[in-house]
Amino acid sequence: MNLHMRLEAAQNALHTLLRQPAATLMTVLALAIVLALPVGLFAALNNLQQLLGHWRDQAQVSLFLHRDASAADIERLQALLEHGAGVASVRYVGKTAALREFEHNAGMAAAIQTLGENPLPASFVVELNPLAQSPGALRTLVARWGQEPAVASAQSDLRWVARLQAILALGKRAVWMLAGLLAVGAVLVMGNTIRLHIAQRRDEIDIASLVGATRAFIRRPFLYQGLFQGAIAGVLAWVIIAVTVSVLQGPVDHLAGLYGTQFHLLGLSSGQGLILIAASALLGWLGSRLAVGRHLDHTFS
Amino acid sequence: MIEFINVTKHYPGRHHVLREVNLHMRKGEMALLTGPSGAGKSTLLKLLLRLEEVSHGTLRVNGVDVSTFKHRHIPAYRRRIGVVFQDHKLLMDRDVFSNVALTLRVGGLSGRQIQSRVRAALEKVGLGNRAQDLPATLSGGEQQRVGIARAIVHTPEILLADEPTGNLDDALSTEILDLFRDFHYHGTTVLVATHDQSQVDRLGLPVFHLERGRLHIPEEGKA
Repeated sequence: MNLHMRLEAAQNALHTLLRQPAATLMTVLALAIVLALPVGLFAALNNLQQLLGHWRDQAQVSLFLHRDASAADIERLQALLEHGAGVASVRYVGKTAALREFEHNAGMAAAIQTLGENPLPASFVVELNPLAQSPGALRTLVARWGQEPAVASAQSDLRWVARLQAILALGKRAVWMLAGLLAVGAVLVMGNTIRLHIAQRRDEIDIASLVGATRAFIRRPFLYQGLFQGAIAGVLAWVIIAVTVSVLQGPVDHLAGLYGTQFHLLGLSSGQGLILIAASALLGWLGSRLAVGRHLDHTFS
Repeated sequence: MIEFINVTKHYPGRHHVLREVNLHMRKGEMALLTGPSGAGKSTLLKLLLRLEEVSHGTLRVNGVDVSTFKHRHIPAYRRRIGVVFQDHKLLMDRDVFSNVALTLRVGGLSGRQIQSRVRAALEKVGLGNRAQDLPATLSGGEQQRVGIARAIVHTPEILLADEPTGNLDDALSTEILDLFRDFHYHGTTVLVATHDQSQVDRLGLPVFHLERGRLHIPEEGKA
């Protein structure tokens, strides 16, 4: 296929879009909003994950050590823990520190003094990123630590991690379904728009067909139209999300400040934005392809 | 060049539009297709253009059975034919140049080739100075010339015309049909459907006469 024919078709498509700026803008805006909804929800989920990733103190594992664990075993265990997948921090609590902490927290200093000897074992407190691995993988990891020679027992509550991850998985699935439905909506919007353009140019199509135009020749300008409108809608959807994130950042800063922390909302990265534009262009192309295909089946049958 | 061998065309549930038509035209020949309205003239031309399919019989162009073409081969076949319509079939929102250029754009020619060929075709039909005008600003005769320029701009092997003078007065009809004769003199095979008996008599060309779907053999010695 000649390159100049493709360029001509692309110019033709652009010309058609620019000739009807209001109609083009409405179509592109409708598509952009349809796309911004699921992509915005994905961004919201990402932010939720980021927020939950900070709740490491909720995914804590305590490894109590044997009273007679050797210094070498303890050192080896510490190295193992620090290199564990999804481990956010490792803290060694010696026997004396454990006792002090117990006395401070439980207020039972007098009772413990009667024992004469410190009954508390040394331990490692490991903080995990609750979203770094699946609950099953985290359980396996903790079980393996529990079998280390220096470890007398391991204590953890990973049920809430499982619940958290299940809720997130549900959210993701719901967003994917919504995205699928809205993608179909985007294809239909584009298909309908192109159908109107086809109706406007029906004479041209019929005459071109009479003088020997191929299906590809007739189809090409409409496909470019769909592609261009889709791509522009993708850019607009990206802008909508960026503006939304920027507008929400102020209230989020205020809220985070009340909890004595900071939280920066995530928008779309450059890579994600480009994927959005490409996907949107593809949906526009697909909508056009379906509409033109149906029309040409009539013209050429 | 063009051979209709026992060609019949009928539509489901309707009468026969063409019945066992036998027609032969040699390469470079020009003939007129006459007959009253509804005789089947347009249908015969549509069969040649592969806008309709033959129900029975064989239609050959350059020795190839047109009815065996697959759909994807039809556009290339049509690009070897030029066609002129009674109602001109012009794009009213495009200028004269763009209307004529459509045939060449469809054929994939470059912008430079299109420029020179369209100019030449418009000169040939006497519209060299109207290239930038919209069809609505032209007279009926001029619009038909644009249609003719579009039909001949790619120097087709066959030129078909369906009542090209139907809406024109005698003087303009004469001009238009003389243009067709010029193309015939330059080697193009031309078949013109008309019911204008005065022009038929004037031109003295072979005539295929259709009457209720049946073809009458051309009169000898008129070519």
